Amino acid sequence: MSSTVTIRPTAQTSLSESSRKRRRINKVLAYFFLTVCGLVFAFPLYWTLNASLQTWMELRSYTPKLYPSIPQWHNYVEVFQTHPFARWMLNSFLIIAIALPGELLTAMSCAYGFARFRFKGNNFWFMVMLGTMMIPGQVLLIPQYLLFHHLGWVNTYIPLTIGSWLGGGAFAIFLLRQFILSLPRDLDEAAMMDGAGPFRTLWQVLVPLMQPALITLGILAFLGHWNNFMGPFIYLRKYELFTAAVGLRFFQTVVGAGGATEKPREHLLMAGSAIMTVPAVLLFILAQRYFVRGVVMSGLKM
Amino acid sequence: MTHQSVTGVRPTPATRKYNFARRENLYGYLFISPWLIGFFLLTLGPALASMALSFTKYNILRPPQFLGLDNYIYALSKDKLFYPSIIRTFYYAALSVPLGVLGSMFLAILLNTGVKGITVFRTLFYVPSLVPIMAAAILFGWLLHPDFGPINAAIRGLFHVAAPGWFSDRRYALPSLVMMSLWLGVGGTRMIIFLAGLQGIPQELYEAASIDGASPWHSTRHITIPLLSPTIFFNVILGVIGALQVFTSAFVTTSGGPAYATYFIGLHIYYQAFDYLSMGYACTLAWLFAVIIVTLTLVQQRFSGKWVFYYGG
Repeated sequence: MSSTVTIRPTAQTSLSESSRKRRRINKVLAYFFLTVCGLVFAFPLYWTLNASLQTWMELRSYTPKLYPSIPQWHNYVEVFQTHPFARWMLNSFLIIAIALPGELLTAMSCAYGFARFRFKGNNFWFMVMLGTMMIPGQVLLIPQYLLFHHLGWVNTYIPLTIGSWLGGGAFAIFLLRQFILSLPRDLDEAAMMDGAGPFRTLWQVLVPLMQPALITLGILAFLGHWNNFMGPFIYLRKYELFTAAVGLRFFQTVVGAGGATEKPREHLLMAGSAIMTVPAVLLFILAQRYFVRGVVMSGLKM
Repeated sequence: MTHQSVTGVRPTPATRKYNFARRENLYGYLFISPWLIGFFLLTLGPALASMALSFTKYNILRPPQFLGLDNYIYALSKDKLFYPSIIRTFYYAALSVPLGVLGSMFLAILLNTGVKGITVFRTLFYVPSLVPIMAAAILFGWLLHPDFGPINAAIRGLFHVAAPGWFSDRRYALPSLVMMSLWLGVGGTRMIIFLAGLQGIPQELYEAASIDGASPWHSTRHITIPLLSPTIFFNVILGVIGALQVFTSAFVTTSGGPAYATYFIGLHIYYQAFDYLSMGYACTLAWLFAVIIVTLTLVQQRFSGKWVFYYGG
């Protein structure tokens, strides 16, 4: 009896000591890799800022400069003077303002339908929906373009936002459905017992609990529209209707007809891109806690 | 309810069940109707239209002209760009998917170690995926510029060897594009999905392994990876579908060049449709491509049973 009592504590302390030592080594290793990866990821970002503050001549020197000799802050002003960049950013925000409520509302509705109602064909349509993720965008691109062209919707924001008002795509609905499935069914049944209809149950019981998933979807939708290139590129042909993501193209050096070269403006493009990244980064920083939780709880891991 | 108040008799279970089922159908379809309408108008309708157009010659200006199987025969036997662009697309996917999925998983494992400052690193890894594709294209055009780029300056300075031409060299253009897509994508939403998967692994397993004296490598190999396999599978499927559709990055960076080195099937379809206005033929190419993607996804699902492990399921 007494011998086991004396031996055990020493065995435990030696174990915890070695495991503590191991934990310290792991920590150092983790920091080492995090720092290396962090530098690799940060370098191009730094280069964007660096390039956005240089003159064109500096950018084209044979030995690249790690920092601008004199920071050209006026590049950031020139972005807005050379092209209607403010207008383009406003257009991007406008598209998001049209699309985002639609995506949240309709994806929520569809997810609720799939998660909570055992209607005939539920499984069938759900599988069809997942199947649509496999269809390459190119298959739909051409007929959709022809459809919108014939409806006279080219040069409007309808082609860019209509999908958001029609469920927002398979991924959005899937994400919210998985999240609803993780919420106990008793909650909505209790609400139903108290006489709430399905709409009120969704709106007053489930939606408050779905916040992390809705925020996650909101962020993904915001970023998707903010950085969407192909949609605006194909459907918008008027200079003043462009979004910022497409407008950036106009800062690229273009060799004009007859070989006349425009004034190079790629340093401005970098400034524009830095400006464009700011709202996205702010959004991510503000919402990242919900974002990660939303993905965790929706069981997107399958 | 009215039933009850008038006659004072509760509805029989059978009628209640019947009403309930009818309501389930009604509300179910009501709630999914946005997606259903979208599916018919924006997916199924266009897909069928595209199928029909794939048998025609159509340039928007004149009505479609029925050609039978001519487009398909041309694509499969005469189009010199078809097979190479498909093979190139697969090559791109074969390079970018494994590197991308492993990279995201590696970053997620690092972030999941619970050391201090995680928020900063998580943000740093995520930010590249927020950079507009147009900006990334120009940025990498510079970083990898053969003469003025910092990467080549470093290579010349450190190793004193001739530095590669990256985007302007036929052999390096595609790998350069992969590098760009990795920078843009590795730390993005896919990494967050892995992070979510990692947080779902019961902590007791690691504690038990640690008491048994398992090294971090062993825990990763025998606990993390098997339990994460559904997440890996999910990301591989989505990754393959995404990589095969590679378009925008190549379109804005290299436009398919130099010498067709980054001319993927997506670009072939786009140029046929919007540069040559061969809408019919572009639909043919898109459908041939769709068949390949669907087949591949089904094959992947078929083989997933061999390596995907569901904990407790």
